[in-house]
Amino acid sequence: MTSTRLLALLLIGTSSAALAQSRPSPNAPPPPVGARLPAQPPVAATDMQAVLDQMPRLGAKPIEMLPPVKARLQPTAADATRAVMRMKGMSTAPDPAVVTQDLPYGSDPKQYARVYRPAAMPAGGTPMPVIVYYHGGGWVIADVNVYDAAPRLMAKQLNAIVVSVEYRSAPEAKFPAQHDDAAAAYRWVLANAQSWGGDVNKIAFAGESAGGNLAVATAIHARDNRLTMPLHILAVYPIANSSMTLPSKRDSANAKPLNTPMLKWFGHYFSKTPADMRDPRINLVSANLRGLPPVTIVNAQLDPLRSDGETLAAAMRSAGVRVEQRTFEGVTHEFFGMGAVVRGAYDANMYAIGRLQAAFATRNR
Amino acid sequence: MKKLFFAAVLTAPFASTSVLAQVMPPAEYVTVAGTSDLYEITSSRVVLETTKDPKVRGFAEMMVDHHTRSTADLKAAAARSRVRAAPPKLMPLQVELIAQLKAEPAATRDLAYIAQQKASHGQALNVQKAYAMEGTAPPLRAAAAQIVPVVERHIAMLMTM
Repeated sequence: MTSTRLLALLLIGTSSAALAQSRPSPNAPPPPVGARLPAQPPVAATDMQAVLDQMPRLGAKPIEMLPPVKARLQPTAADATRAVMRMKGMSTAPDPAVVTQDLPYGSDPKQYARVYRPAAMPAGGTPMPVIVYYHGGGWVIADVNVYDAAPRLMAKQLNAIVVSVEYRSAPEAKFPAQHDDAAAAYRWVLANAQSWGGDVNKIAFAGESAGGNLAVATAIHARDNRLTMPLHILAVYPIANSSMTLPSKRDSANAKPLNTPMLKWFGHYFSKTPADMRDPRINLVSANLRGLPPVTIVNAQLDPLRSDGETLAAAMRSAGVRVEQRTFEGVTHEFFGMGAVVRGAYDANMYAIGRLQAAFATRNR
Repeated sequence: MKKLFFAAVLTAPFASTSVLAQVMPPAEYVTVAGTSDLYEITSSRVVLETTKDPKVRGFAEMMVDHHTRSTADLKAAAARSRVRAAPPKLMPLQVELIAQLKAEPAATRDLAYIAQQKASHGQALNVQKAYAMEGTAPPLRAAAAQIVPVVERHIAMLMTM
């Protein structure tokens, strides 16, 4: 009897724990999804929709219903993009104009970075700008392999070294493990960039989604620890505001490939306590943003994180930071990696590359 | 006693999500791992048709060998666990990945193969580690624990490619 009662208590304990934060296991069950908001997002542009249509064909299941071990096996927006490319007769192989090397920056197997370099790097030429790039995936899913398009394109178009940082993922390693890894990787870049042919006086940070957050948070870390400050920050649809009542979290609640229940799902797995969601490293709008370099924020219209970017831009302006924020119409979360087949993505790529180019050029004057 | 047990489960809020770990059931684990092996073997054979790079050739031959072996090991462990799993069949995404490899000419096929291998080995490690941690069938759990370091060695090799 006593053992049964104990088991009953244990089960209740486990289930209420599942409501807030998960156990540190990839098998930990997802949080309850609750009632779906009825919002129907506006129609995506035709070329954007063609990519989204590949997701069910490739067997994608709703991430918010899965434990991490299965969520990590789902086809990604990058997979869907390559499927469209193949059907159009385009090559899906990585662009050979850029070469890569994987190098460790820490002792954990996930603490490594992929260093992208233009293949035609002139021997003994002038040192190249360095971009530290952080991938997305809500700190739970995805890796540097999924987010290959943007760093490869930036290396090619800007003739730059792009260091794409892998980091430990949650729930196995919870917040702030990802922020700690992002900062450690930056210190490692500062110590090694010169040996790769990089110019440590021309550094920019970039990132998408959870990685857009890391780009800003790592710049704050650099400011507070008197590390070399980047010349520019490119934050593409960053996680920046923990409020769940922002307009985009309602109007794009059922958007694809990111919906509002997925944001709750990520928080369930990456946070240790509910208070983590209010930590200024996650809720960037509440951080001290003074003294940051100029910032470019790229958002998608059909994305629950659109308001995160808009409110972050406002908070940065109030803190005296020079910031430009643009929302691209008819496109969704993850569109930044779709420049090969989505017009809006190509436009956003060119806009972001132009902003980085200008930032690096200022340094030459 | 039984009554109390069920009462606890039913009164637990949100009974729709399992209150216990959602570790893959043994049959699902065997299917997912077997499918991953099948994809490794199939994609490696596609690159072996064209590659001129001895490093890629050596790696692909090793993949065919190692993943054929891990399929046999899993089959034996499944039998010891009295688990019947459907024979592996490529998932829609894996069918697409193979089609992409076949569409590439020799030179870029090597690059596409290495990129695919990096992604798929990360996923394989995720599956094996999760089952080795909390899998419910002891022989399969032991097999997963033995596969983990093999996949880690493959990942270490891929980091040099």
